[in-house]
Amino acid sequence: MAEETRGRLGGTAEEARGRLGGTAEETRIVKRRIHEYPDDSWTIERALDDGAYEGARKAITTMQPDGVIDLVKASGLRGRGGAGFPTGVKWSFAPKDVFPKFIVVNHDEGEPGTFKDRELGENDPHQLIEGIIISAWAVQAARAFIYCRGEFALGSRRLDKAISDAYERGFLGEGIYGSDFDLEIVLHRGAGAYICGEESALLDSLEGFRGQPRLRPPFPAVKGLYGQPTIVNNTETLGNLPDIVLKGADWFRQWGTEKSPGTKVLSVSGHVNRPANYEVSMGTSLADVLELAGGMREGHTLKAIIPGGASAPLLTSTDIAMDFESLKDAGSMLGSGAVVFMDETTCMVRNALVTTAFFEHESCGKCTPCREGTWWGVKVLERIEEGDGRREDMDLLLDICDGIDGRAFCPLGDAAAWALRSNVKLFREEFEEHVSLGRCPFEDEERILVGANQGGGSGEAGVMPQPAAGVPSDADTQS
Amino acid sequence: MSSNGGVKVTINGQTVEAEPGRLLIDVAEEMGIFIPRFCYHPGMKSVAVCRMCLVAVEGMPKLVPACAIPVAADMEVNTVDEQAVDAQKGMLEFLLINHPLDCPICDRGGECPLQDQTYAHGPGSSRYVEPKRTFEKALEISDLVVLDRERCVLCWRCVRFSDEIAGDQFIQLVDRGPGTQILTFNDEPFDSYFSGNTIQICPVGALTSKPYRFVSRPWDLVSAPSVCAYCSVGCPLTNDVRGGQLVRTQALPNENVNDFWTCDKGRFGYHYVSSEDRLASPLIRNVRQEFEPVSWGQAVGAATEPLSRGRRVGVIAGGHLTTEDAYGVARLAKRTIGTPHVDSRLQDAGAPYELALEVSDAAGSTATINDLESARTIVWVGPDPKETLPVLYLRLRQAWGDHNTKVIVISARRISLDGFATHVVRCDPGGEALALQGLMDGSELPAASDVGDPMVVCWGPSSPGRDETGIFGAAIELVKVKGAKLLMCPPHAGSQGLIDMGVHPTLDAGYNPAPTPGLDTRGILQAAADGELDTLLLVGADPIADFPDSELATRALASGVFVVAVEILPTESLAYADVVLPSAAYAEREGTFTNLERRLQKLQPVLPAPGSAIEPWKICARLAAALGENWGLPDFDDVWRAINADVPSHAGLQADHLRNQPVTPAPYYESGFEGETPGGTRVAGPGGQYPHGHRGGSPFQTGQNWPLSWELRAFEAKQRPGLIPSVPARNGHGAPVVRATTPPASAARAPGRFALYSGRLIYDEGTMVSRTTALRAIQKKPFVEMHPEDVKELELSDGDSVVVESDGGAAELRIIVSDIAKGAVFVPYDQEGLRANRLIRGASPTVALRKP
Repeated sequence: MAEETRGRLGGTAEEARGRLGGTAEETRIVKRRIHEYPDDSWTIERALDDGAYEGARKAITTMQPDGVIDLVKASGLRGRGGAGFPTGVKWSFAPKDVFPKFIVVNHDEGEPGTFKDRELGENDPHQLIEGIIISAWAVQAARAFIYCRGEFALGSRRLDKAISDAYERGFLGEGIYGSDFDLEIVLHRGAGAYICGEESALLDSLEGFRGQPRLRPPFPAVKGLYGQPTIVNNTETLGNLPDIVLKGADWFRQWGTEKSPGTKVLSVSGHVNRPANYEVSMGTSLADVLELAGGMREGHTLKAIIPGGASAPLLTSTDIAMDFESLKDAGSMLGSGAVVFMDETTCMVRNALVTTAFFEHESCGKCTPCREGTWWGVKVLERIEEGDGRREDMDLLLDICDGIDGRAFCPLGDAAAWALRSNVKLFREEFEEHVSLGRCPFEDEERILVGANQGGGSGEAGVMPQPAAGVPSDADTQS
Repeated sequence: MSSNGGVKVTINGQTVEAEPGRLLIDVAEEMGIFIPRFCYHPGMKSVAVCRMCLVAVEGMPKLVPACAIPVAADMEVNTVDEQAVDAQKGMLEFLLINHPLDCPICDRGGECPLQDQTYAHGPGSSRYVEPKRTFEKALEISDLVVLDRERCVLCWRCVRFSDEIAGDQFIQLVDRGPGTQILTFNDEPFDSYFSGNTIQICPVGALTSKPYRFVSRPWDLVSAPSVCAYCSVGCPLTNDVRGGQLVRTQALPNENVNDFWTCDKGRFGYHYVSSEDRLASPLIRNVRQEFEPVSWGQAVGAATEPLSRGRRVGVIAGGHLTTEDAYGVARLAKRTIGTPHVDSRLQDAGAPYELALEVSDAAGSTATINDLESARTIVWVGPDPKETLPVLYLRLRQAWGDHNTKVIVISARRISLDGFATHVVRCDPGGEALALQGLMDGSELPAASDVGDPMVVCWGPSSPGRDETGIFGAAIELVKVKGAKLLMCPPHAGSQGLIDMGVHPTLDAGYNPAPTPGLDTRGILQAAADGELDTLLLVGADPIADFPDSELATRALASGVFVVAVEILPTESLAYADVVLPSAAYAEREGTFTNLERRLQKLQPVLPAPGSAIEPWKICARLAAALGENWGLPDFDDVWRAINADVPSHAGLQADHLRNQPVTPAPYYESGFEGETPGGTRVAGPGGQYPHGHRGGSPFQTGQNWPLSWELRAFEAKQRPGLIPSVPARNGHGAPVVRATTPPASAARAPGRFALYSGRLIYDEGTMVSRTTALRAIQKKPFVEMHPEDVKELELSDGDSVVVESDGGAAELRIIVSDIAKGAVFVPYDQEGLRANRLIRGASPTVALRKP
């Protein structure tokens, strides 16, 4: 089993690790334990041996809740799920005198190209639980929910085991660390809807309703799950907390930029030699990231980059720093940190079609522009790709994007528009070529990489690599 | 912020003061700036899903949905900003790519918000060339509602109505993304009492009315505002007529009464008006004892002598008469004929409405329906409102849902309110009064702990024929002790008006005690059966079907008394009539209904009455003239002048106030609805201008009718709130009355006997509602509700048959095991194959049960 899942990368875990330690530098906070103990990082024994739960202990036994909030504010930690909202500030929005409050972990990682939370959940669940304890203490929530993406079969089993181990050792339940603070964690598995990664749709889904975003205000921090104050945080965000508590804001700020401190786990995939999760200091240049990933595959040249998940507008150059501000200034976004490198064999019409079809499929159907706009976009792109495009279709596509962007109910629609628009704008000649030729100019197998199992000419690289090291079998979690 | 708490808001350059927190879309609308919308409906919470109402607000980075943005101080809004207009155009283009555009065969065409807003704000043509999304066409999701998912724009109004307002969640969103559709769950029928509201609020033709399907184009309709003639809530309606037939009724909004809603009985139960068996001519019996059409002169002549017998005449009026009819009946009986034996209580015989005078200057409610929403606690003792007063049920539900009002229900059986009641006191059979006392003395815990101020105590007669003196008396005591308000709920549209006008044996018009108390309905029927009366005048009354002892009613009518009947349709009682005088139905006449909060709302005629049928008050005037008194009341104004003079409680109400309440024309009609009724009455507001704006003020292109459908009718209807007469204070409310508290029936019951509860279900065999085929099809079959232990003792189980037997007769009924007090059974009043009034005897009826 273990052999099989590693197959695409070839070789053993040892060799895989070797590949990860390339020439460019990784900076590991949330991935440190996974990196150092690839064989058993997810077990409670290893985690405790490595100092897990000491951050939570420090927070609860020596700090006031507000003190923790202030510390996290001072650290400048920003949400790693995509929006980049300052975590401490979000916490402070929860009213102090309304109980119960809830912590909800957004572990519904669904952004195409992103696989960081999956690795963190599978291989270091205790770091996540410790982060939950710290955040729950900070906002005084006695119950936390982990909304786990339904497809994370292994991850959810590991989390389940980790939660019960944490209960057993007294890190969860009543009177944590001898204090009078209680915390329950409920693991909830989603049912496969991308929209449930949007925090308010996640809450509706958690409550048992259709997963659809809620009207805001009120924001979840004020009225969230079951109408109570609810803090929704991403898995990677919480993973930073133990070290911030133990080592302080200044320690954390030694990496990254003034406005985007710390590190970011980037899920690198596409036509690169070593697709994997790389944790780098915020502001690392995209060129370095490409180098970490082993560069483009032999004999091919870079054509386009998705810098922050399928929602992020495309880039065509690696000359950019990977942090929230720089990417925003470049007209794109850091998003969830999924970096997809595409080489010259990629058909951008097909790329736009696959991306837009994804958003159409995942649109919840609540608001008009997203529901109808993505439907329409797919129809037009299909026509162009099949050779039935018209001269006016490119402008029509841009108009459809304008009709969605900024007018949809939630960011899903906006994202669909950004992605499509950047494809059309940056590669308009390629779209026009489709129209004038009356067919797709690319070889059928090579026009885009779709999924890990796309057969044929994609060579060594794959879009969806398995977590690089120590991929466990299911048997590991049987106790 | 100004001194009165308003904030200054500027919309398209016009500045107004608005209450902070109100929605931008509403504030703009009141200024005459109509922001296009599909999902927003003023009766429901905003969801902001259609994105049609996006507007530009100064300082906001993106366009914002006007339906979800509360106004705030110094807000500057531009609804015709270039971006906003572009968004509106784009949104319509999106909505239309998958809309079938089958307007020529769509019932909505001509009064369709999608059509109208496309004309006003949409692009001229579509750039969409691909195949449209298709669904199976025209699903009949119930006997009343047809669903066409291709037309749907997924505004969710129907789903939200189902969830938020009706609370029955029959209609749902299924699937997601572009495949999202509206459906009933699991192909179950849309079995809601309120389903028709979803048709009315649907902004496209996705939900259409099965009875009205393909019947008319909107521009061929003549329409007039009216008031529902069924129950005492009094929902305002419009009646739509085509080719002389009443073909549709829809709810008109009145935020005091029904908000925006009405029930399916009120909406679909109109077929009786244009029914073929309407009485069109006076009838008298010929020598062969058969009815023969005669002239009014002949008929009135035949009735004159029998009606001149003074105290040997009994008068019974039915509950669907207007206030003016009631005035005519009371005046004819008490003054012209000179008999005190006049009553209007049939199904509600035994309901002591006059007790309300102990807490009020009127024999009626001191609370309004809106008071339910500002109350902290509502106590309900009475019938199941969802069956008998459906829209009051919605308002009670809203009070609970939107205002967290606590609801305490006292009932011997499970009723609809139990679903959300804070406390349910399941009393012994006949033990309602004791339970009410328990709320006062605190013995009925935990409900008593939630008795709080402000409180509204609602009472209505809970079971036909049952003596309610003890129950209503205890409710009155609760009102007194706790300083609560009273909502008195008589059953029918005309019930309260009949009390007000003195169609009552102990009260004269204006609630003055009658100098010589007369016989009540039971007494009148008994006297007739005993030969003590010579003549019975039935005005819209069918005692054999409605009085809770049909045997006594039949005996009375068959006793040889001379029966003069005023009716709209043949009834069982009519078989015993000697003279029949045809009456106009509610859609054919002017008048007012007085609802359960004593609010008068105006009916407008939209149809001619069949043949020579006329309003009952005019019939009364004719009879009076034949008896030698010329009232001189040819029209509505004259009746009201007479009422002003004769009824102190209604002295201040002018006919003009009732009829011509100042209606500011809604500013947006391009061609408002206009129509002439037979009486020459204009039936709706004049046309106005569509707001100048996006299209440079060019006039609206479509529709002879109300161009923007219900939202705009709502605007106008808001200015017709109806009037509640203020009653001159009485000197003292009478000495406290010592009432014998009726002992619980369980104590009085012989072994083996069960207390018999009954009550009307929404769709039954009533003369009016049973003329609507679609409602008859969904009428429930007769049943008997029993306590599980009682069923077990009879060695029977749920679904089995049991024989229900009383002195009056027996019926074999299917058992429904339910949450009802042990020792009590419930039988619906009037379902096909069962008239519960054949079983009911006396003021605390009991039955025996046995295996068939």
